[in-house]
Amino acid sequence: MIELKGVTRRFGEAVAVDNIDLTIETGEVCVLVGSSGCGKSTTLRMINRLLPRTSGQILVDGEDINKADPEALRLNMGYAIQSTGLFPHWTVARNIGVVPTLLKWPAQKRDERVTELLALLGLDPETDARKYPHQLSGGQAQRVGVARALAGDPNILLMDEPFGALDAITRESLQQEMLRIQRQLNKTTVFVTHDIDEALKLASRIAVMDQGRIIQHDTPEAILRRPASAFVENLIGKGDRGLKLLALRTVSGLMERHPEPRHPEPVTDSLNESDSLRIALSLMLWNNTEKLPVLDASGAEVGIVNREQLLKVGA
Amino acid sequence: MPSSTGLPNRVIPVLALAAFVLVWLLNLGVVQPNRIVAGTGYGLFDATGWFGAGTVSSLLLVVVVLATKPIRNRFWVLSFLLTAALMSLPLLLEVFALRKLPADSAYARIGIGAGFWCLAFFLALMLLETLSQLKASRRVQLSVVLLVAAGWWLCAAREGLSSLSLIREYANRADQFSQALTVHLSLSLGAVAISAVLAFGLALAMVRRERLRRPLLGLVSFMQTIPSLALFGLLIAPLGALSAAFPALQALGIRGIGWAPALLALIAYSLLPMVRNTYVALMEVPEAVVDAGRGMGMSERQVFLQVKLPVALPVIIEGVRITTIQAIGLTAVAALIGAGGFGTFIFQGLGQAAMDLVLLGALPTVCLALAADAILSALKFQETPR
Ligand SMILES: Nc1ncnc2c1ncn2[C@@H]1O[C@H](COP(=O)(O)OP(=O)(O)OP(=O)(O)O)[C@@H](O)[C@H]1O
Ligand SMILES: [Mg+2]
Repeated sequence: MIELKGVTRRFGEAVAVDNIDLTIETGEVCVLVGSSGCGKSTTLRMINRLLPRTSGQILVDGEDINKADPEALRLNMGYAIQSTGLFPHWTVARNIGVVPTLLKWPAQKRDERVTELLALLGLDPETDARKYPHQLSGGQAQRVGVARALAGDPNILLMDEPFGALDAITRESLQQEMLRIQRQLNKTTVFVTHDIDEALKLASRIAVMDQGRIIQHDTPEAILRRPASAFVENLIGKGDRGLKLLALRTVSGLMERHPEPRHPEPVTDSLNESDSLRIALSLMLWNNTEKLPVLDASGAEVGIVNREQLLKVGA
Repeated sequence: MPSSTGLPNRVIPVLALAAFVLVWLLNLGVVQPNRIVAGTGYGLFDATGWFGAGTVSSLLLVVVVLATKPIRNRFWVLSFLLTAALMSLPLLLEVFALRKLPADSAYARIGIGAGFWCLAFFLALMLLETLSQLKASRRVQLSVVLLVAAGWWLCAAREGLSSLSLIREYANRADQFSQALTVHLSLSLGAVAISAVLAFGLALAMVRRERLRRPLLGLVSFMQTIPSLALFGLLIAPLGALSAAFPALQALGIRGIGWAPALLALIAYSLLPMVRNTYVALMEVPEAVVDAGRGMGMSERQVFLQVKLPVALPVIIEGVRITTIQAIGLTAVAALIGAGGFGTFIFQGLGQAAMDLVLLGALPTVCLALAADAILSALKFQETPR
């Protein structure tokens, strides 16, 4: 658990972070979202003491971080940044292995860990491991950055726009991987982004920041349904928040389940259990139909989604 | 086989043609009655007769044919041919000496003419082109250079070339030559080593304290702007006074002239490129990389030793390379204040109008600079992630 109590950071006269209180429960993903310069990175960097705070208190599992040794503190906090900051003179494998090396793991354990992480992030343990950072594509470099943050098996992950400079498709696939990894590992994560869709997708709770303050701290659904101010309303986009709300839920929660899985009828389109309601609605509009069958991973029909029901949820 | 090796090469025929014209037009060598008097020049045909002229001309012809016809492995053949030709090039001078040197005169000697230098130069260019067509590795390139050097060394040691003016000048001063080599190397490398240590400290201070940057850079830049001769001269008076006042210094050989002022001036000149490159290299380590190092849990010391220094190293080595080449050249000038080294031969030769004595000083200076360049470039290349 990470607790920020009345934390303030000034740069000279300017206040970058203004007296914020924030509690991040163990195992949850807290996404800091807000426009450029609102103090997201500053907040994150105070948590691992890359920046000293001006006043206030930051506790990790009840202990004030200023009491800990900064290096030991950081070794237990994975850190990934937008510009990746990969060490250009080291291979991918050595980059990923840096924290295990600092932790003085035995070489074999470290190498196994590196191979495991390369596989986890969809990189080739054979060829990619020996490459140097400048031989990687932007997406691969950011994967390596995330792998490096995970390598020491830290309890806490700090991620500062780790998918920042990517095209929409690569970004989407990395977000999927992030969700998958999070389901597997359950790390306490602080994730910074200025992309509200990324925040809605990844967060268990979102902290909306503006001018150094936290305007609202709540679950994605609550943020969409009850934005605390005009600023938050603007950020989430008034126009399509209904669709965003639909995007938060999967088909499996809403469908009418068949008593027995059936052999699917050969229709034009069908849904997967893990598809979002937003996709379900879109497909219904496209096919101009009232219902759509839902298939499970093996391809058997397990239920039906009904348009009327679906529309009720959005309200 | 890549397509480019099948196409006729245009560079080599042009070079070969130029070599052909120049070697026939210019004097291959000169016969001098003694070391001062200007001698009589001989062209390729006069100097080496049908045999020499024929060999040279047919070699160039074969090179042109090989370069233009789509023969398999022609660049390998070319590189062997050109290397062998370059290695044995001094034999031309031996043939020349055999034919033209008057047997009765003990002082007569032969000098190397412009034609010979041109031939050597163009053969080297053709070899370079061939090696780049072959995409030869650094190791192959280095072996070729060593082979040619060994060839020339062996030729120079032969009895037949003992009448070569350059070798006569060397034979008269063999002891002085090896001493000059020692002095030249220790002065220039010593200056580079000392200034490297100083520059590293200064650059670190500048990195730590932004305030120091302008005054320190200003100071080392100012030293660079003083003409070298003036700086050597300026140091004579204060060092002379010092050594007069402290006999202990005099015992160490520190006087107004000699190695001490030379070393000081060389260090002063070496500081700017060294400090600038080291400072820039350390400052240009990307902020994100340093930040990531700290964020991973490295201590400041680990960040410096494992991240900043290795990332900066290629640029620092580049500074050392520039400085070393510059110091080797400047050490030649330092001979004017009695520092010794190869410059001594150059200035003596200029004084006596004996051009081959000048060559005896200039050639090894150039070779030292080239060798330093090659070694440090290789080192830098190795440190740069590919
Ligand atoms: N080292 C610094 N010196 C002075 N001011 C700084 C420094 N770092 C940040 N600031 C200021 O603090 C404020 C918050 O910066 P911060 O980097 O936390 O923003 P951010 O929310 O991460 O923005 P972005 O989305 O652009 O990364 C900005 O106004 C910035 O100018
Ligand atoms: Mg930021």
